Amino acid sequence: MKLLSKYNRVTLLSTIVIMLFTGIIYYVAIKLILIEDIDKDLAVEENEIFEYVKVNHALPQVFESEYQQIIFQEAKPGSVKREFVDTLYRNIPYSHHGRHHRHEEFESGRGLISVVTAGNKTYRVLIVKSTVETEDLLKIIFGITAGVILLLLLVLLISNRLLLNRLWQPFHNLLKELRSFKLSDAGAIALSETNIDEFKELNQAVVAMASRVKSDYTDLKTFTENASHELLTPIAVINSKLDTLLQTENFSPQQSKLLNDLYSAVSRLTRLNQSLILLVKIENRLVEGHQPVNLKAEIEDIAMQFEEIFNDKQIALKTDLSDKHLETNLYLVEILLNNLFSNAIRHNYQGGIVNIILRENELVIENSGDADALQPEKVFKRFNKSTNSEGSGLGLTISKQICENLGFDLSYFFNNGLHTFKVSF
Amino acid sequence: MKLLIVEDEQGLRESIEEYFAEAGNVCETASTYAEALSKVSMYRYDCILLDITIPGGNGIDLLKNIKQQEYNDGILIISAKNSLDDRLEGLDLGADDYLVKPFHLSELRARVSAIIRRKSFNGSNILLFHEIAIDLMAKSIKVKDQPVKLTRKEYALLLYFVANKGKVVSKNAIAEHLWGDGIDMANNFDFIYSHIKNLRKKLLEAGSNDYIHAAYGMGYKFTDQ
Repeated sequence: MKLLSKYNRVTLLSTIVIMLFTGIIYYVAIKLILIEDIDKDLAVEENEIFEYVKVNHALPQVFESEYQQIIFQEAKPGSVKREFVDTLYRNIPYSHHGRHHRHEEFESGRGLISVVTAGNKTYRVLIVKSTVETEDLLKIIFGITAGVILLLLLVLLISNRLLLNRLWQPFHNLLKELRSFKLSDAGAIALSETNIDEFKELNQAVVAMASRVKSDYTDLKTFTENASHELLTPIAVINSKLDTLLQTENFSPQQSKLLNDLYSAVSRLTRLNQSLILLVKIENRLVEGHQPVNLKAEIEDIAMQFEEIFNDKQIALKTDLSDKHLETNLYLVEILLNNLFSNAIRHNYQGGIVNIILRENELVIENSGDADALQPEKVFKRFNKSTNSEGSGLGLTISKQICENLGFDLSYFFNNGLHTFKVSF
Repeated sequence: MKLLIVEDEQGLRESIEEYFAEAGNVCETASTYAEALSKVSMYRYDCILLDITIPGGNGIDLLKNIKQQEYNDGILIISAKNSLDDRLEGLDLGADDYLVKPFHLSELRARVSAIIRRKSFNGSNILLFHEIAIDLMAKSIKVKDQPVKLTRKEYALLLYFVANKGKVVSKNAIAEHLWGDGIDMANNFDFIYSHIKNLRKKLLEAGSNDYIHAAYGMGYKFTDQ
C-alpha cells in the first residue's frame, strides 16, 4: 500500500468520524435550543389564555393562524396533566383569498397540553405550533455541515496528493538515483535539494553509504590491480630463470617433461594475470581512443592468425562476412575478437565446426562443443568455466565488459547444437 | 653489442645479463635511477633496456633525458604496466620498442636485435648468417644468392632463430612469438613442429647447412656449431 493511500485512509476516516460526530452534536444542540424557544412561546401563549380567562371568565376566541393552533376541549378536572408534547401540526394552507383549501397537510409540531377553568367548566387546552421552520433550519444547518465535510474531504484529498507528491519528490529522486547506482560508475549520486530535515538526513546517509561502498570497491579494485602488477615481476623472474635454465643443456627426458610443465603453468599464470589487469582496466574505462575499424578485415586477420590452430584441431571454419565499418576502439575490438575466437576453439572438439557470420548489425560466432547449453546467466561471470577448460575463466567476462564499454550487446544462446555468441552493434 | 640493463629486480636483471652475455657483447646494469642516469651520461650503448618503475625515479624521465641529449641509443622499454598510455607515451618520446613483463628472454633478444639492426645497418637491410642472407626490407631471404620462398611465419621464425642463435628457444616462446596470445588454445605445439620442419626443409633444399636442432623436446636451437 502506498504511503499516500495509507495516509489518506487514516486522515479521511478520522475526518469523517469527527465531522459526523460534530454534526450530530450540532443537530442535537440546535434542536434543543430551538425546542426550548418554541416551548417558551407556547408558555407565553398559555399565559395569555390564562390572563384572558381570568379577566373575561370565558375562553378566548380562537384564531387560526398559520403557525399556531389552539384547541379547547372540555375535560374532567384532574384528568389532564400539563405537559409539552411532540405532535403533528395540521396545516390548513390559506389561499390568497382567504378561502379554505380542501386538503390538509400534517407537519411536525410542538404542543403544550394545559388546563384552564373558565366559568365552571374545565378545559383541556392544546396549543400547537408548527416546527417546520425549525426543521428547515436544522436541515439547512445539517446540509451546510455535510457540505463542509465533503469540501474538506475533497480539499484534503487533493492537497494530500499534491503536497505529499511534492514533499516526497526528494525521496523519489533518491530512489531513482539508487536504482541507477553502479559501483563502477565514477560519478557521485546526484541529489535534489530539499529543506526537509528527514530527507536531508536520508540524503546524507545515502551519499555517505555510496561513497563508503565506492571507496571500498575502489580499494578492492586497486588491490586487484596492485596484486596483479606485483605478481608480474616474480612471474617475469620465473620466466626468465626458466629460459636461462633451458640454456644449461643436457636434460634427461624426465627433466624435459618437468620443464615443459613449468613453462605451460607459468604461461597460464601470465595470461591469467594479464586478463585480470585488462579486466580491471576495461572496467575502469581506462582504455580510450576511437579509430575507424574494418571489422571484416580484422576478422579475416585473426582467422589467418589462428589458421594453424584451426588445422591442429581439425576444426572447419566457415565464414560469411559482409563489409562492416565501425568507429570504435581497435585495441578493444581486437581483444574481443581474439577472445571470442579462442573461446570457439577452446570449447570445441576435434573435428568440430566454427561459423562466423558478420552482418550489418551483428556478429555471430557459432561453435560445436558440449551437447548441453551453458547457463546464459552464468556464462559471463568471472571464473565460471568448464572443469576441463585451460582458459583463464575471464575471457568472456572481458568480452562482455568490452561490449558494454563499446556500446554493443553480447549475448549467448544454444542453437541447433551450436554454442552461439552474438555481438549486436 | 653494448647494452645497458636498467632493472631493479635482481633476478630478472641477472637473467637478462646472463642471456646476453657472450663473446662480443658488453652488458652493463643499473638498478636505480641515479645509477642509470650516471651511466647514460657517461657511455653510449647500442641498446638500453629500460624498466619504467625503478627506485629513485621513472624510466620515462630517463628516456626524456636521453632524448634531450640527442643520444642515439636504442631504447627498449620493459614494463610491468601493460598500459596503452605508457606504451604510446614511451614510443612517442622516442623509445624504439615496448615489451611487457613477463616475457621470454628469446623474445627480448629478438626485439633488441631488431632495434640494433635498425640503428646500425644504415640503409643496408641485409642480415647475413653464413650462407643465409635475410633482406629485412623485402622480408625475403636468399641462400647462396638463390631466393628461397618462405611463408610469413617461416620468415618470422627464421629471424627469431637468427636473433637467438646459439640459444635454446622454448616452444612456448616460439608459439607466443608467432601466434600471440591465441596460442593457449592449441592442444599441443605440433603445428610449430610442422612450421619448423618446413623451414628447415626449404633451407636444406637451397643448400644451406643444417642449423636448426631440436633440444630435448622442449625447444629448438639455431646454431652453427
